[in-house]
Amino acid sequence: MNMLTTDMVPTVLATGDPARVDVEVAPKFKAGDTVTVVNLNQVAHNRLPAYIRGKVGTVTFDHGVFVFPDTSAHRQGPKPQHVYTVVFTAHELWGDAGHPRDRMYVDAWDDYLESAG
Amino acid sequence: MTTDNHSHANVLIPEVGLRVKALESLLAEKKAIDPAALDLIIETFETQMGPKNGAKVVAKAWTDPKYRSWLLEDGTAAIKSLGYIGVQGENMVALENTPTVHNVVVCTLCSCYPWPTLGLPPIWFKSAPYRARVVIEPRSVLKEFGLDVPDDVEVRVWDSTAELRYLVLPMRPSGTENLTEQELAALVTRDSMIGTGVAQSPSH
Repeated sequence: MNMLTTDMVPTVLATGDPARVDVEVAPKFKAGDTVTVVNLNQVAHNRLPAYIRGKVGTVTFDHGVFVFPDTSAHRQGPKPQHVYTVVFTAHELWGDAGHPRDRMYVDAWDDYLESAG
Repeated sequence: MTTDNHSHANVLIPEVGLRVKALESLLAEKKAIDPAALDLIIETFETQMGPKNGAKVVAKAWTDPKYRSWLLEDGTAAIKSLGYIGVQGENMVALENTPTVHNVVVCTLCSCYPWPTLGLPPIWFKSAPYRARVVIEPRSVLKEFGLDVPDDVEVRVWDSTAELRYLVLPMRPSGTENLTEQELAALVTRDSMIGTGVAQSPSH
């Protein structure tokens, strides 16, 4: 194992740990698409918040290609894919408890989304 | 005999401290990290990272329309140009508050936070009540922070569950037309860049 030494610290802190990867992967969605969040309930590591599972939202932005945490956390490879911001109405998530104007924006990997169009 | 003069919180904290010390000595013994490197990391966080950095970004956006457009279009590049880059700031998005839109940021899954611009997150940002409640009842939570969002203003809650980190660009307070960029930066609070507050007015 390489030891982290003081001379390495400035570079490590300045570089960070970029999860963005420079590989060509076709996006499944584009801004404006209506999507349903998969009803994923795996015990293994994932980054999908429970409150959006099965909910319908709209893609607002494609941020490019990132490592997929569900596989990389278990040393099953980076499975690079697009990450999008998806917007949900408060009403879609919380029913009548949601304020009619309010919106929740959540970032999601391709594997978490299905077309609802 | 009354040796137990600890408060309840103090009983818990030494356990965490002991665990951290145990991890630190293990990492050092296994030669994964030089203790001096650890000291340097802590010193960097204590002296170079914090909301003063984010405040400079905001003040520049308030005074320089070109920079403002760049920040909203490519947050990572615009923030990097001021020297704020690195761990937990690799992919930055700036969110513009307007008279009709109020943005607020949370990480419901853990405590993701833009370290280079805001430093380490406050305790409440990591607490389960904030993370659980701000998505379902943002207006009530904001009210507890002292912010009464009018009914005709849209609240946008941003959950940084992936690799994007968010910085709220608060509205510039009125009566600040003659202030310098440096004077403006002093009005930009940490909470105003999370969205649980607004920038201070000059008379504050």
